Amino acid sequence: MPKLVIEDLHLRYGSVEVLKGIDARFEEGSVVCLLGRSGSGKTTLLRSIAGLEEPSHGSIRIDGRPVFDARTKVNLPPERRDLGFVFQSYALWPHRTVSENVAYGLRLRGESKTGIGTKVQAALEGVGLGALGERYPSQLSGGQQQRVAIARALVYEPPVILLDEPLSNLDAKLREEARIWIRALIKRLGITAVFVTHDQSEALAIADQIVLLDGGRLIQSGTPEELYERPATLFASEFMGTNNTLNVGVVERQGGRARVTLGQHPLWGTDRTEGGAAREDAKGVIRIEAVRLVDGAGENRIPVEYETSIYLGNQFEHLFRCGDQSLRLLSHQRVGPGTHWVECPPDRLWVF
Amino acid sequence: MPRAFRIAVVLITALLILGPVGLVVYQSFLSGPFFQPNSTLTTQAYEFVLFEEEDFRDAFLNSAIIAVGMTAIAVPLGCMMAFLLVRTDLPGKRFIEPLVLVPMFVSSVVLAFGFVVALGPVGIVSLWVKGLTGSIPWYLYSKTSLILIAGLTHVPHVFLYASSALRSLGSDVEEAARSAGAGPLRVALTVSLPMIMPSILYATVLVFFLGFELFGLPLVLGDPERILVLATYLYKLTNKLGTPSYDLMAVVVVSIIFVTLPLVYTQRKLLAAASRYVAVKGKASAQRPLAIGAWRWPALGLIVAWLGVTVVIPVTALVLRSFLASWGEGVGIWENLTTAHFRELMEYPNLVRGIVNTLLIATVGGALSVSFYALVNLALHRWRSRWTAVLDYLVLVPRAMPGLIAGLAMFWLFLFTPILQPFRQTLFSLWLAYTLVWLAYGMRLVSASLLQIGPELEEAGRVSGARPAQVSRDITLPLIKAGLIGSWVLIFVTFVREYSTGVYLLSPGTEVIGSLLVSLWGTGAVDLVTALSTVNLALILVGLGLMFALGNKRHA
Repeated sequence: MPKLVIEDLHLRYGSVEVLKGIDARFEEGSVVCLLGRSGSGKTTLLRSIAGLEEPSHGSIRIDGRPVFDARTKVNLPPERRDLGFVFQSYALWPHRTVSENVAYGLRLRGESKTGIGTKVQAALEGVGLGALGERYPSQLSGGQQQRVAIARALVYEPPVILLDEPLSNLDAKLREEARIWIRALIKRLGITAVFVTHDQSEALAIADQIVLLDGGRLIQSGTPEELYERPATLFASEFMGTNNTLNVGVVERQGGRARVTLGQHPLWGTDRTEGGAAREDAKGVIRIEAVRLVDGAGENRIPVEYETSIYLGNQFEHLFRCGDQSLRLLSHQRVGPGTHWVECPPDRLWVF
Repeated sequence: MPRAFRIAVVLITALLILGPVGLVVYQSFLSGPFFQPNSTLTTQAYEFVLFEEEDFRDAFLNSAIIAVGMTAIAVPLGCMMAFLLVRTDLPGKRFIEPLVLVPMFVSSVVLAFGFVVALGPVGIVSLWVKGLTGSIPWYLYSKTSLILIAGLTHVPHVFLYASSALRSLGSDVEEAARSAGAGPLRVALTVSLPMIMPSILYATVLVFFLGFELFGLPLVLGDPERILVLATYLYKLTNKLGTPSYDLMAVVVVSIIFVTLPLVYTQRKLLAAASRYVAVKGKASAQRPLAIGAWRWPALGLIVAWLGVTVVIPVTALVLRSFLASWGEGVGIWENLTTAHFRELMEYPNLVRGIVNTLLIATVGGALSVSFYALVNLALHRWRSRWTAVLDYLVLVPRAMPGLIAGLAMFWLFLFTPILQPFRQTLFSLWLAYTLVWLAYGMRLVSASLLQIGPELEEAGRVSGARPAQVSRDITLPLIKAGLIGSWVLIFVTFVREYSTGVYLLSPGTEVIGSLLVSLWGTGAVDLVTALSTVNLALILVGLGLMFALGNKRHA
């Protein structure tokens, strides 16, 4: 049975509809990422699960128990949903020490004094801050504050933990470390985690399941591999990875393949429109790492004019021009001015 | 906070506000006192006051003239001082700045007594000048003097708003103007001051409004030449016709509120506009003061002269006079020094009670008031409901009532309501009136601290498992504790200073220094008045000391 089920969830602020009917189910013990641009409704969805926002329509069930259901007028207040929540700003209470911050949820649950002491210590050690219990939040670094916020949300062992962009206030290096230890921690505890982020690489690194949102709607839900390798829509394909988006003309479609022209050059691609008609103004999307630099003409190869290069350290990113469209690719080779040939493998060139 | 509790708090507050006001409006349409059963509904009191009573017309006109005049003095002077003290390299500005706000903390009757004692026809400074030049080149009891003094004593109000707006303005906008080739004066006139225009406009309306509320200054300074303003007219009306004419007083009160309420409403709108304006300010990075070169010295001279006339001369003369056995032409200062007046003060039980009551109402009462303001604020805190808008507007009503009027309305309410009657001659009636008069001010003090709490701190409490009441107790209140203590100190000073609210509630048991000063002045007991004023000043000094100790920089 899924841990968390969301059905046809709508939410509006005044006349603006922020969530326009979200359906999703999250499996027990999985790490789910709500991914989307700002304004996509991902944080609102998370806050609705926590009970901090009130949807106008739909239902949310945890372990089969409705915590929100517009039809039967069920709307449990946040304190009765028994969830852990990590805020983007961490929201540590500045007037309490680290231990007191972590202990609060246990205290509210009527835990004994010794029980609180042991669990708080264990939670702080779990996030690697065992020695800092007597400090105040203002005496901690940003990374340490984030760990306290996570310990505070986990200490009373909620079945589901919600995290609202918990890594966005960390610097780049810390963020990459944090991804790894947060995922490891959640997996060790075996709880379900819902994680909001706008950073696709973060989502790919941390999630078992990614839910891609845009404009208050669910675009695609699946494993990171599914989202990266088999995006369902043009939006999903462009959102993930770094891409070349090309204007192509469709000549014919057959058996899941599409024959297109880029300028006057013919190319085979994978048809992602589910049997649409031939159209002049289709979009071809290919990830920049899928485009290969080759020595000469051949199947699915096109000639391009060299424009410029960027040195990335481990490789080069080259920019070419094909007619009035530009094409980027990654290569270990240095390239000079002039005409070159590139290959776009048919299974990696998606036609929408 | 549970919803039912929130609604209950809003309703109680609404009752507290609308009860007294409603009673006054009701009385204004009666033919006789509200407690007389044969009073009938009529508009005759309005007809009399508005169309037949010449004193009322004069008072209204005087109020308008004084309000315009003092605004014309206070606004330019306040803006100029704000610019000089905040934006330029004026010498000694760190010492001068806190002094500029002093007139706001001294009760205006006390300041008025100070002016009489120093600059009146037999004032200490007047006689000294007369000894030097043979005559006194000014006359304190004229309308011009009144306007001038009212203008000078309201400079701090303008300064406060203009300086805080200037402070939040980044110096980058000024530096941009300098780089474009503008000199310091041009920068002030074309960049800095226009950018804080909304704040200046707000301060202008505020001072104009305070002009209509004026009571202490015209009571003391306008009396010898019978210059009446609205508030003093109301005060005199009690005695004018021999018997208290409830209907006429009510009409005057309604007329005053009719003028002040739109002004308060305008202020509210302007304040909202001012804060919107600040959102488009320059980046408030490190501010570099503007060098004004040789202009520093005349500028400093101007500010010192203002401080001297408005603060130093009246306060010093008042304190000095309280230690003089008597004063008049040919009396020397040194051989007359005495503490007899203070000993005399202790022989009057009502004056001693007044001092004790003032202390009680300022400390315990102030704490209770702040608790009440905090309770109302918490009830409205993070509540998306139309009720909050209702209370938002209701709070404007007591703001539009000068203390004298609120005191009168509260007095009537205690007479009118059977269950309240036993409390009329207790400090409770006075405390309730004080709390009501300063409701808007106190609410703002407390809400300023509440606004600094990020909503996620409270949400974190909710998701951790705390009910709304537990969040208020465990998170919100501890976080605003320092703000509440700061508010209490400011309310302490405000309650010590207050003089007009207690005037109508003055009875054995409810004496406070302020209302005693007003009634003692009428009897001409200058020795006692100056001694009691000195006690009042000392208490305010204690409050200000506390404020500095707490590092509290927030004001009105």
